[in-house]
Amino acid sequence: MSVVEQAAVLPAARPRPRPTARSVALRSLGVVFVLALLVFMVGPILWLALRAFSNVWPYPRFLPSDWTMKWWHSVFADKSLGHSIKLSFEFAPVVTVASAVICLPAAYAFSRFNFPGRRFLLVSLFATNAFPKIGLYISMAGVFYTFNLMGTFLGVVIVQLIGTVVFMTWIPTAAFSSIPRSLEEAARDAGAGPLRVFFRITFPLAAPGIFVAMILSFLASFDEAQGTFLVGIPNYITMPTEMYTLVLNYPEQAAAVFSILLAIPSVILMSLARKHVMGGRLAEGFQIR
Amino acid sequence: MVLPPVAVVAVFIGFPVGAAIAYTLGKTGGPNSTIALIAQRQHVAKHGVTFAAYREVLGNAHVRGDLWATVWVTLLTIAAVVVLSWAIGLYVRLSDTWIARTVSALSVIPLFIPVVIASYAILTFYAAQGFIKTLAYHVGWHSFPTLGYTMWAVVIGEVWVNVPFGVLMMSSGLNSVPNALIEAARDSGASLPQTIRAVLLPMNVIPTVIVATFTGIYVLGSFTVPYLTGPSAPNLMGVSMSQFFQSFNQPQQAEVMAMIVFVLAAGLGTIYVWANMRAAKRASQTS
Amino acid sequence: MSESTTPAGLLIDRVSKDLAGRTIVDDMQLEVRAGELTCLLGPSGCGKTTTLRMVGGFLQPDAGAILIDGVDVSRLAPEKRPTAMVFQNYALWPHMSVFKNVSFGLRLRRLPRREIRDRVEQVLELVGLTHHMNSFPAQISGGEQQRVALARALVLEPKVLLLDEPLSNLDAKLRVRVREDIREIQQRVGITTVFVTHDQDEALSISDRIAVMSGGRVEQYADPTTLYREPATHFVASFVGAMNFYTGTVADGAVEIAGGVRVPCEGARRNGGAPVEIGVRPEDVMVSTAGDGAEAHVLREIPRGHYKELVMQLGEAEVRAFVGPEVSTSERQRVRFARAVVYAEGVLRPSTEPAPLR
Repeated sequence: MSVVEQAAVLPAARPRPRPTARSVALRSLGVVFVLALLVFMVGPILWLALRAFSNVWPYPRFLPSDWTMKWWHSVFADKSLGHSIKLSFEFAPVVTVASAVICLPAAYAFSRFNFPGRRFLLVSLFATNAFPKIGLYISMAGVFYTFNLMGTFLGVVIVQLIGTVVFMTWIPTAAFSSIPRSLEEAARDAGAGPLRVFFRITFPLAAPGIFVAMILSFLASFDEAQGTFLVGIPNYITMPTEMYTLVLNYPEQAAAVFSILLAIPSVILMSLARKHVMGGRLAEGFQIR
Repeated sequence: MVLPPVAVVAVFIGFPVGAAIAYTLGKTGGPNSTIALIAQRQHVAKHGVTFAAYREVLGNAHVRGDLWATVWVTLLTIAAVVVLSWAIGLYVRLSDTWIARTVSALSVIPLFIPVVIASYAILTFYAAQGFIKTLAYHVGWHSFPTLGYTMWAVVIGEVWVNVPFGVLMMSSGLNSVPNALIEAARDSGASLPQTIRAVLLPMNVIPTVIVATFTGIYVLGSFTVPYLTGPSAPNLMGVSMSQFFQSFNQPQQAEVMAMIVFVLAAGLGTIYVWANMRAAKRASQTS
Repeated sequence: MSESTTPAGLLIDRVSKDLAGRTIVDDMQLEVRAGELTCLLGPSGCGKTTTLRMVGGFLQPDAGAILIDGVDVSRLAPEKRPTAMVFQNYALWPHMSVFKNVSFGLRLRRLPRREIRDRVEQVLELVGLTHHMNSFPAQISGGEQQRVALARALVLEPKVLLLDEPLSNLDAKLRVRVREDIREIQQRVGITTVFVTHDQDEALSISDRIAVMSGGRVEQYADPTTLYREPATHFVASFVGAMNFYTGTVADGAVEIAGGVRVPCEGARRNGGAPVEIGVRPEDVMVSTAGDGAEAHVLREIPRGHYKELVMQLGEAEVRAFVGPEVSTSERQRVRFARAVVYAEGVLRPSTEPAPLR
C-alpha cells in the first residue's frame, strides 16, 4: 500500500525507479488521469443537476443545505415552456426525415458511382460547414424574405436542415461503401431487381450508419438555437431558443431543471446509437474517398 | 440522385454566401436589398466594389481584439483536443483494463448533452461559487481565480464539446493499425514510446489532421459556448458577429467578420482536403 | 475444337471486353457442353473472372455474344439470366439466417411456403447443412459458408452454375475436401458448370475440360489428361505442372541440349536439325547409376514425402526429376528422358513430338 501512495505522490522524485515501482507509478498515474477526466467530463453535469433540486446552497459547500422540488413545479406550470418543448419534438423528426429523404440517395450515389465531380461535390458539402452559421443566417434572411419563409414552419425546417446535410451525406456514404458489392450482385443473381436489392440487402446492411446519421441529425435539429431564433421568431420558439432566455432571466435552478429536460431526449437517443457510434460508424464518415 | 442535397446546399448556402460576399463589397442591391433596408452604417459601392466595410471592421480595435482571442482560443483548443484524444486513444488501444474502458466511456459523454446545456453547466461549475472554487477553498487555496466568464472557460467549454469527436476519430484510426504491426516493432527491439513514434504516429496522421481541422472549424464558427461562458469583451468572433447584427443593427459589418472567419476556416479546410487527397492517392497507388 | 453433337450448355462466342482502357478478354471463344464442368484456369489478370462475370451478367461484353441453350442472353440483367454464381468471398448476407439466405430467390418468386421449405431442405441436405438452417453466416465455419453459398446458387435450379475461385479462402486440407464435394454434387445434379481458379491442381482434379487462359484468350481447351500430357503452348506447359525446358535439337532416339549434352530419349525423331524448345516433365526424367544416360551431378535432394525431387546439373543446364523415395542416389547419375515435348515459337509441334513411352 505504502509503495502505491509513494509512487503516486512522488512520481518525479525518483528519476529511474525499478520496473515494478515504475509500473505501479504508471498505474497510479492512470488512476489520477481517470479521476481528473471524471471531474472534467462529468463534474459540470452533476453540479448542474444538483442545482435543479436545491433550495439553499451556500458557498463553499459541496452539496445544497436545503433540497426542494419547487423548481420542477414552476417549470411544468409555465405554459410557454411546455409549448416550446412540444415544438422541439415537432421540428426534430420532420427535419430528420426530410434530411434523410434528400441526402440518402446522394450518399448511395457517392458511394456506388464514380461520376465526374464526385470528389468536388463531397468537398463542397464540407465547405458549407466552414462558413460561420451566423454570417450564413444573416444573408439567408434575404433569400427567406424573397421566398416568404420568415416566421414559417418550413423556414425553420430549412434552417435546421442545412446543419444536417453534411453528416447525413457523409456517414451513410461510408456505410454504403463498407458493403461489398458482391452481396448486392448475389441478390441480383438470385433474381432481385435493382430496387429490391437496395431495400432487401443494401439498406438493412447500411442501417447502423444511417441510424447514427439520423440520430445526429435529430439532435442537431433539437439543439439548433441561433438560426431557429432568427427565422422562427415570433411564432416558433423551440426549447434551446428558450434556454438562452432562461439562462439570462430566470433563477439558476429553473434553468437547471430545463437543462435536464432538454438533455433527456439526447441521452436516450445517444444511448440507443452508442454501440454504432463507438464502433466507428461516425469516424468512418469523415474520410473522403 | 446527388442533385437534391446539392440543390439545397446551393440555394440555401451557396447562394446566400455569394450574396454575402457581394454585400461585404458594397453591393446592396438584388438579394441584399431587404437586409440593406434596415442596416446601419452601411458602405455602398456606387461603381465596382468597395473595401470600406473591411477597412472599418479591421480598423476597429475591439474587433481586432476579438480576432486575436478567436485565433488563440482556436489554437489552444486544437492543441488540447489533439493531445487529449491521442492520450485517451492510445490508452484505450494499448491497455484493456477497466480503467481504459472507463476512460473511453467518459470521453464520449459530451455527445449525449446538448451544447447549450453543456455551456451552462461548465459556466456554473467554474463560476465564482462553483465546484472548482469550492474545491480550491477546501484545500486552502483561497485566491484561486474564478474561470467563469473568462476566455479560460471558453477554452474549457470548447475542449469539452470537441473531445468525443477527437477520441472517436483517434480510436478508430488507432484500432485500424493491426496488432501484428505493433508486435513486429516491439519484436525488433522498439520500446513502447518508440513503437508509438515509429508505427502508430505516422499511421494516424490523417485522423489527427481530421480532428485538428474539424475542431478548429467548429471553434472558429462557434457561438453558444463563448456566448454563455465567455467574457463580454473581448470574445470570439461568433459572438461579436451576432452582436453587430442584432444589437448594433450592422449586418454588413457582421458579414465582413463572417468572411474573415470563413477565410481562416477555409485555410484549415484546405489542410483537411489536401491530407485526404494525398492519402487517397497513396492508397490507390499501392492497391 | 470439340465436335459435340449435344447442344452447347453454354457458348461464349467471340467475346471481347475492355476495362479501364485495357483489353481484358480478347475475342474469346469457348463452348461448355450440357452437364460439363469446365475450369477457367490462368494466372491473375488473365481475364478468367471477367469472363465469368460476363456470363453471370455483371458485366456487358463489348463484342460477341453469350448463349445459354442456344439463346442469346448477352443483354439480360443478372436477375433475368438462368445462371447462379458462387462468389469468391461467398457473399452471404450477414443479416439473414442460412435458411433466409438460401430461400431468398424462392421468396422473390413468391412460391408457396411449403414448396420453399421443401426445396431449401432438399438443397441443404445435398450440401449436408440441414442442422445449420437457422444459424447466421457469422456463426458457421468458412467451409460451411462455402456450402451455403453453393446451396443458395443451386436452389434456383439454374442452367449454368458459376463458381468464382470458391475455394481460395479455405485452408489446404479443407480445400481438397470441398472441391471433391463440389464435383460430386455437380455430377449428381448434372449441372453445366464454369469454375474459375488459378490453382492447376484444383482444375486438374475436378474438371471435365480445362480452358487455360492468358492475356484474355484461351491458350488450350482440353481434358485434364491431354492438357497435362500435351500442353499446346509453352505457356500452358509452364503453367500446368512442373516442366524442365531446354533449347536444343532433336535427333533420332536422343535430344541434344545446350553445351552439347546428348540425352537419350525414347521415340525421339529427327526434326531437321533446327534448334527448338524441348520440355520434359520431372517424372519423365529417368535416373539410374549406370547405363547409357547423360552424366549429371546431383545438386540437391528434396524429400517430398511420397516421392523425392532431385535437382541435378546436366551440362550447363539444370534438370529436376521426381523419383521414388526408395531410389538410392549417388553424387553422379545417368539421366534419360522417357518422354519430351517440342515447341517451335512457343507452339507444340505435333510432327516432331516423340511418341510417348509405353
